[in-house]
Amino acid sequence: MNAIRLVTSGVATIAGIALMAYLSAAPVPYHANESARLRLSWSARPERIEVCRTLSDDELARLAEHMRQRVSCDGVFATYTLRIAVDGSAIDESVIRGAGLRNDRPLYLLRDYIVPPGTHRFQVSLTRREKTDDDAAAFATTVVLDVDTGRYAGRAQREASERSRRARAAIPASLTLDTVFSLTPRRVALVTFNAERRTLQLHAESPGR
Amino acid sequence: MIMVYFLKNVNMHFLKRPLRRLLASIEAPLTRVFGWQWNPIHQAGTLSVLMLLVLLVTGLYLVLFYRVGAPAASVARIAADPWLGSWIRTLHRYATDVFVIAALLHAMRIFAQDRSWGPRTIAWISGLFLFGAGMVLAWTGYVMVWDTFGERLAREGGRLLDVLPIFSEPLSRIFAGDGPVPSAFFFVNLFIHIALPLGLGVGLWLHVSRVARPVLLPPKRLMWGVVGVLTLASVIVPAPLGPAADPLRLAIDTPADVIVAWWLPLSEQLSPALAWGLGFVGTVIALLVPRLTQRPRTASWAPSTVDPRLCTGCNQCPQDCPWEAITMVARDDDRPTLVARVDPSLCVSCGICAGSCAPMGVGPPGRSGRDQLSDLRALTFPVLATKATPPTIAVTCAQAPTAHLDALRALGAHVHAVSCVGNLHSSVIELFVRNGAPGVIVFGCPPRDCVGREGPKWLHERLFNDREAELQPRVDRRRVRTATIAPGDLSGTIAVFKQFERDLSALVPSAPEQDIIIDLLCEPVPMEESAL
Repeated sequence: MNAIRLVTSGVATIAGIALMAYLSAAPVPYHANESARLRLSWSARPERIEVCRTLSDDELARLAEHMRQRVSCDGVFATYTLRIAVDGSAIDESVIRGAGLRNDRPLYLLRDYIVPPGTHRFQVSLTRREKTDDDAAAFATTVVLDVDTGRYAGRAQREASERSRRARAAIPASLTLDTVFSLTPRRVALVTFNAERRTLQLHAESPGR
Repeated sequence: MIMVYFLKNVNMHFLKRPLRRLLASIEAPLTRVFGWQWNPIHQAGTLSVLMLLVLLVTGLYLVLFYRVGAPAASVARIAADPWLGSWIRTLHRYATDVFVIAALLHAMRIFAQDRSWGPRTIAWISGLFLFGAGMVLAWTGYVMVWDTFGERLAREGGRLLDVLPIFSEPLSRIFAGDGPVPSAFFFVNLFIHIALPLGLGVGLWLHVSRVARPVLLPPKRLMWGVVGVLTLASVIVPAPLGPAADPLRLAIDTPADVIVAWWLPLSEQLSPALAWGLGFVGTVIALLVPRLTQRPRTASWAPSTVDPRLCTGCNQCPQDCPWEAITMVARDDDRPTLVARVDPSLCVSCGICAGSCAPMGVGPPGRSGRDQLSDLRALTFPVLATKATPPTIAVTCAQAPTAHLDALRALGAHVHAVSCVGNLHSSVIELFVRNGAPGVIVFGCPPRDCVGREGPKWLHERLFNDREAELQPRVDRRRVRTATIAPGDLSGTIAVFKQFERDLSALVPSAPEQDIIIDLLCEPVPMEESAL
């Protein structure tokens, strides 16, 4: 290898490495400079809309022993209408369902909306679409007269307690968030569902931090 | 029906010529700069393996300090260590880039050189899986860093995976910012990042399983040179670490490795279904390459055959065959030796066996030693007879660049092209010399650029080191030379030829012999009536 080739190959190597080093960490545009986002993210059980009735002793006797429940409920999982408005202008209105083919899985929501930075009024509402019979709903969560004794004593209360727990964990029939918030450029305002308070909340920082 | 029509009527041969030109335009300048001995393009496959080893070694160090509970912080600590962490992490990254570039170049060369079908199918398919696994490893590796680029890759991966019915809960939600990204996510990434290389070992074994004497690493000087240069670059130019991922902060740009994630900006613009669709179509086409580049097993692509009457059972052709396509089996006549048998499903018709058989009993149809001698007498000697003085013979590979052949002709050489110099039977050289040629110089391709894999190596051994089918002692070795012809090194070709001519001029001119019948030395055993 003569001197010229040595120099040329050295220069070529340096140029090649420099190009590779640049391409290895090249700044690739991602988000627009002057933008911010409203993000909705939560997962929760949709409400179960049921019609319940108390089974008679004869009806219970016809069931396999491990299938016997004093109160039998049939129903569907609720669907919801999501409405989002920024400064009074609607930016989204859509129907939200539980996941899964029968919509019986939790309702997962993850949506991003681009909004200009600045102070805005954010209105987010999630409203159940199905109308319910108040009596039926009340029945589903109240305790029926306990007619069971012996090994089945307290069964109806236990079933009512379980239905009540499920109802408390589910998304309420109506959720609303109406707040004014200042969004700086390149920030995300995050709206989540607080399962304990059963309300929508807006965060400027990740609630997990 | 569409698929059947597609497979019957569509091929990819039209892509080879432009791809060959593209590769030549990269290869020639590199040969000019580095010389063919150091041309990294020729070593693309072995460089890929070398980079996997570098990744393995550097990865073992990095995993000691990586924490799935605090990914960004632990990588930041590694990057802040100026003695080891910083450059080892950078070397890990640069080796990834070189792996991707080298593997792509290797695949392009295999495709352009018509080496992607037939018995090489398993190498092509396993190579695709190796490359795919490498890309998945790179993806998980960058996500593990959990800087803005890692987050971007994770988000895009989540977006694409969420349309598949795999996860009970959408993967994307864990990057939403309503809670810390679970350690389990980084643990899974780490697990894949460590487990997949074990699979790469199996893939690599499959990749080279059909070749004899696979070469897995580049020559030592090139190997240590590449590792040294990359290490030096890692010390001098440490790879930057992007800001730690913050799901509630939008990055204007990310320091992205576009060599690995060139697809990312494109994918982000497409719907997941379209992105998957394009990826699926691309993968299917890549998997179909062996079918779409297949050649009919006739003419120059016909597998080798053995003439059992000529085979002496010397066991040389199985040793020289680069594809382990020849085995020695018991004869079905009363001769006490074994006989060579070619497995057509393994033979790539490279013709190396033709040059390895002293009695010229094996080779692809039309290219056996006997065929070479016949062609010489019928086609070449009449042309040579018209010349006033016998010219120096330059035997070249059919792959040799035209410009080099023209230059050799301009220097007065008679160019005799063969399909591969490894096919060349030493008797051809003897016949040239004994016919009065002042000398024969055989120009082979650079060793790692030979489509027959080992052509120049075996030729040199046969001419100068008495490997079986050797050049007979009666041939003056001073009149025979081997050299390398490499695109981009025209001056090298000319210089070598001129030097050979100068050396020949110092010798006493050779006189042509009459009635040379070399192949009579290997006259076939007459077949018995009953065998006919």
